[in-house]
Amino acid sequence: MSLRVLLVEDDKELRSTLHQALVIEGYKVLVAASLADAQALWSHAAHDQGLDLVLLDLGLPDGEGTDFLTKLRVHTQTPLIVISARQQDGEKVKLLDLGADDYLVKPFGLDELLARMRVALRHRGRWVTAAVTSYVQGDLDIDVTRHRVMRCGSEVHLTPTEFNLLARLVRNAGQVVTHRQLLADVWGPEFTEHTHYLRLYMGQLRAKLESDPAQPGFLLTEPGVGYRLSEPH
Amino acid sequence: MGQTARLQYPPAFLNTKYRARMWIAPSLKNHAFAKAAVVAVWSLGWLLMWAMDGVADLANLALMLVLAAAVCGLWLSAAESLVIGALAVMAFDWQFVPPRGRFTVDLREHAWLLLTMFAVGSMVAWLVRQQRMFADAARVMAEHATLLRSFNEQLRQESSSGVVQQFAIALQGLIQADIAVGMVDDLDLKLAPLRVVWGQVDAHEMAQLQSCLDTSTPPAWTDQPMHSRQTITLPLRGPTQCHGAVLLRMPESQPLPPMTQSTAQALCDQMGIYWERTLVEARARCASEEAQTQKVRNTLLAAISHDYRTPLATILGAASSLLRQSDRLSRAQAQALAVTIVHEVEQLSTMTDNTLQLARLDAQGVKITKDWESLEELVGSAVARTRRRYPDVRMGVRIEPQLPLLRCDAPLLVQLLDNLIDNAIKYGNPDQSIDIIARKIESNFLLAVSDRGSGIPVQVRDRLFLPFERGTSRGAGLGLALCRAIVLAHGGSIVARQRRQGGTSMECRFPLEPQPLPLNEPLPDSVSPHRSMA
Repeated sequence: MSLRVLLVEDDKELRSTLHQALVIEGYKVLVAASLADAQALWSHAAHDQGLDLVLLDLGLPDGEGTDFLTKLRVHTQTPLIVISARQQDGEKVKLLDLGADDYLVKPFGLDELLARMRVALRHRGRWVTAAVTSYVQGDLDIDVTRHRVMRCGSEVHLTPTEFNLLARLVRNAGQVVTHRQLLADVWGPEFTEHTHYLRLYMGQLRAKLESDPAQPGFLLTEPGVGYRLSEPH
Repeated sequence: MGQTARLQYPPAFLNTKYRARMWIAPSLKNHAFAKAAVVAVWSLGWLLMWAMDGVADLANLALMLVLAAAVCGLWLSAAESLVIGALAVMAFDWQFVPPRGRFTVDLREHAWLLLTMFAVGSMVAWLVRQQRMFADAARVMAEHATLLRSFNEQLRQESSSGVVQQFAIALQGLIQADIAVGMVDDLDLKLAPLRVVWGQVDAHEMAQLQSCLDTSTPPAWTDQPMHSRQTITLPLRGPTQCHGAVLLRMPESQPLPPMTQSTAQALCDQMGIYWERTLVEARARCASEEAQTQKVRNTLLAAISHDYRTPLATILGAASSLLRQSDRLSRAQAQALAVTIVHEVEQLSTMTDNTLQLARLDAQGVKITKDWESLEELVGSAVARTRRRYPDVRMGVRIEPQLPLLRCDAPLLVQLLDNLIDNAIKYGNPDQSIDIIARKIESNFLLAVSDRGSGIPVQVRDRLFLPFERGTSRGAGLGLALCRAIVLAHGGSIVARQRRQGGTSMECRFPLEPQPLPLNEPLPDSVSPHRSMA
């Protein structure tokens, strides 16, 4: 059965282009041009078989997309990707902290959208079921349950904090985790402003795990927003 | 300039009323000292006269008395001098003029002597007194002139907020009064309210200031002693109009000497002239800035529309070709057209980002959000982006190990790097690698992006970072101007340097700030195990 995507976008051209592209990729697409439409479709779908993913534009004719995100997150953990022309990084961080799974700034390519959708869908339902506990990509093999990190077949020694930081990124592999989320989950809520901890420990992690720390293949930086562990193939 | 007060000469103290006051009022503030001095001089005089009695003749003794009276004139008012002189002559008559012990006089010449003594003593005392008044007036005038001159000097140096303080201090130094200053911040008095810039006023005093501003007339000074809390308002008059007013809350005191009054008004007018000049200059500057902004905006719009038209034309060409000729295009040709469209849109998108960012950074009082960032991460992020867009470009990245953290706005720094790398790709040699270097030099970060292209002609190098300068390729109009704006927003500098083996190196320097102590307590590594993700 094909995956159901709710596309909320008020621009007619972009809506129909994305609609068509997603249908070709095999998704079943519901389209909404306003907040009211989106809410109606979402509550209708909730009675039916639910939604698998939401693509949400922010500036809608009858209100802010953020309101829809907040309402949605009260009831469900359905993956949601924000698509918006606003590119202030403060806004990105706010939306991610509010529970958006990802954020795409217009204009974006179809490849990028599909890749982000794949990642978001893979994490679907992980909130209630078991967390992601392993990550295998290239010569890197992380097993969170056994506290073991292997690189090129040999074990890498990590300090407890380095390991916790890495494990937190593994949980959302492929997705951006904001500075605030990382600091709160690894160090504690009172450390959310201490971004320099992250710089230091990410530097150490890259030195231990990357072949060229200046051109990382796994531990990717989203400047001004957070970090992303590259999506495992 | 007709309205401004002038210092009066001859000094105003020669006014009849003022002179009358000086006639009776002791001029020395230090009464105790004056009394002691007078007593001492007379005692000494009488002692000498007794000592010389019988040795010198009567005329010599009389000269002694004249001398004492003259010296005492230094400290006494004219009336006091007269009274004391008369008493002294009578005592002299009693003591030394035969027959002694009586006020009668034996010889007629002795009577003449006494009369002459009294006349000469009084005359000398009067002259000494007069001389001292002139000297006092000259000293006060010199003090006032110095005050006005030094305030004038401060007007040339201070910023406008400092000037108000200096003005208040100078005026308070001149008149021992509690003062409040109200000024209008616009040349057009209707456009801005009277604003209290020094001291505090109640509603009634505010009305007084406003009325003084409206009429711009100096106060009617009174000759009566001031009662406590009496207020006086002085206008701050500029060359063309009044710009504010000063309120003086007088202590209980004698009326102000006329010279102090005129100096106070002169001080106020200096302030008024300064303020008018400042306002006129500000208005002129504002007009010139507006003209400059307008010019920049027009150039910007012209450049943007030019830079946007080219990629738009390419996109339109490719898209319409796909639309009309799809049945005649080979699969590979259609693919190539689509790639062109994607590439040009990316170009447009970058240009839009640059334009918006440049407009934002050029705005007055823009605030950027800085955080501690690792240059390794920022460079890594920019390089990764470039690799996605230009998979064939060769890049060499050298980042000094253990580089301190840079306090900056991360997205801006990445945009800076993106632009510098884009620039290096456009102007560099495609067969050679682009070098990106980050290291510490003394108390600076050096961030350099270098290519092996043909270099930049010297005559262009200076204008390179101005908006809309470009080399041969299109789309470079704003990129380097934005780079400069970003670097400046971080308190850094950017230069284009010719490399020794050919090519250009764009070098940015940022100040190194004191590092945050990452391992302060509690040690980040000593987190409790319950936060473990496992």
